[in-house]
Amino acid sequence: MTRRLRMYLEFSRKSFQRSAVYRFDAWTRLFANIIFLFMWGFIWYGLYAGKLTTSGTSFHTMLSYILISQALSGLHGAATPLWEIQERVRTGDIAMEIVRPFDYPLKVLFSDFGSMFFYFLVAILPLYASLGFFFHPVMPHTASGWLLFLLSAFLGYLIRYSIELTFGLFTFWLVETGGVEDIFYFSVSLLSGTTVPLWFFPHWLRVLAEWLPFQGIFFVPDSIFVGLLSRQQAFQQILLQILWICITYGILRFVWRRAVTKVVVQGG
Amino acid sequence: MAARMSRNIRLYGTMIQASIRAQFQYRYAFFMNILGWAMSYAGTAITMWTVLYRFQELHGWTFWQLLFLFALSVLSWGVCVIFFFHFRSMDQYILNGTFDRFLIRPIHPFFHFMAMKFDVGAFGQLLFSIIALCLAASHLHLQWQLLDVFVLIGAILGGTCIQGGLIILISAAAFWTTRSERLYWVIMFPAKSMMNYPLSIYPRLLQWLVTYLIPFAFVNYFPAIVLLGKAKSRSVQVFGEISPVIGLVFFYICYRIWMAGLNRYKSAGS
Repeated sequence: MTRRLRMYLEFSRKSFQRSAVYRFDAWTRLFANIIFLFMWGFIWYGLYAGKLTTSGTSFHTMLSYILISQALSGLHGAATPLWEIQERVRTGDIAMEIVRPFDYPLKVLFSDFGSMFFYFLVAILPLYASLGFFFHPVMPHTASGWLLFLLSAFLGYLIRYSIELTFGLFTFWLVETGGVEDIFYFSVSLLSGTTVPLWFFPHWLRVLAEWLPFQGIFFVPDSIFVGLLSRQQAFQQILLQILWICITYGILRFVWRRAVTKVVVQGG
Repeated sequence: MAARMSRNIRLYGTMIQASIRAQFQYRYAFFMNILGWAMSYAGTAITMWTVLYRFQELHGWTFWQLLFLFALSVLSWGVCVIFFFHFRSMDQYILNGTFDRFLIRPIHPFFHFMAMKFDVGAFGQLLFSIIALCLAASHLHLQWQLLDVFVLIGAILGGTCIQGGLIILISAAAFWTTRSERLYWVIMFPAKSMMNYPLSIYPRLLQWLVTYLIPFAFVNYFPAIVLLGKAKSRSVQVFGEISPVIGLVFFYICYRIWMAGLNRYKSAGS
């Protein structure tokens, strides 16, 4: 068990080093992240102009929400993107990974940990720490509050990883994945609450979003961060996140098993 | 001169026919591509609607006005994608050394590269933008005078030239830095996304930048202000009307920079 874990941690180390070599990519990615942060900051500023509180949320809270949300989604951007997985399937590179003595989905996960950790250290942390210094966002003020947020953010990433990899594996059955990709990105951008928190949704859309796994990706950790959930609600939401991880990871394993046999069939 | 022009036009026709035939080979992919683009723009429009649901307006812009502004930029972007979108991945040709083939044939290299692809996937953008534009215009009860029709056509022409010019500028960066695709995704795509919302919500410095330096504001903001009857001063009205002029000048400048880069280019091949 520990030997296997050590092997996967080696993937993390390697991808951390790889990210360090291509650090120019990290800066450019951060640039895009800053533009989107800037854009949504001003959109919300414009929406709030003249109205101090709407739906019980102050602009200050909303700005904090956007800040933490952009920080998290920036961090997710350092992981293996959907199109890259699709590309690996399409070019057949993935076949080489299957014959090797490790579990490919887990390898992707641990590699992503490495590159995300690098991006966190050199880009996200310096930028958002200095922004936090200027804007004094609403944030957890107890150690346990921080812990809950970190746990929830981590679980949110696991949900995203399971769904994204599953969507990527659909490439095994579909040669062209244009539409599939767009469903994924739309769901992640709207239903996860990255830019518009769920409490601003119309009722029916909110109900829909609450019944889907996407809200666990950003909305739950962001709400915990800006303190809009009571301790008990936070626990409930985290349990719900864990439930969604079980479901989405289960689906991922199922799709992966089918995908592997598909390769064998084609490879004859 | 006229003979050369007509030869070039005929050549372009032949080359894009080949490109269209190639894209039609994968019919399923072709339709999915169009559907995918249309869906992803519809997704952005739905996000806009959700943003506006509780607040009703953003700096005096209602949802339908915002949709009009957004659809106007997607419309000219669609035309631009047809002709110029493949310029963003010019770095791949330079890195692989396959760019040289555009230099050794008796066709103008810029023209040759441009004629290489005629992106039919852009019908997704056109499909979305035309439907959205009509919906928004009918909800807003816009009265179309002759001048408005000219402003609309001018905005499509200007928007195509401005956004096309920018893609060409980004592709020209590949002559110096051997990178372009990435620059598109981290600079032009986010900057374009910002312009989906009215310029007035952003700080003065940025408004100045996208008016006088990189004329993004002429793609949709100024024309939309005129068409929606929001122009408060004569100068803003004029800004909305001169979009095609700005576009042509900007495109020409970008084209000259591209040619300057081409003259500097040394093959990466062996």
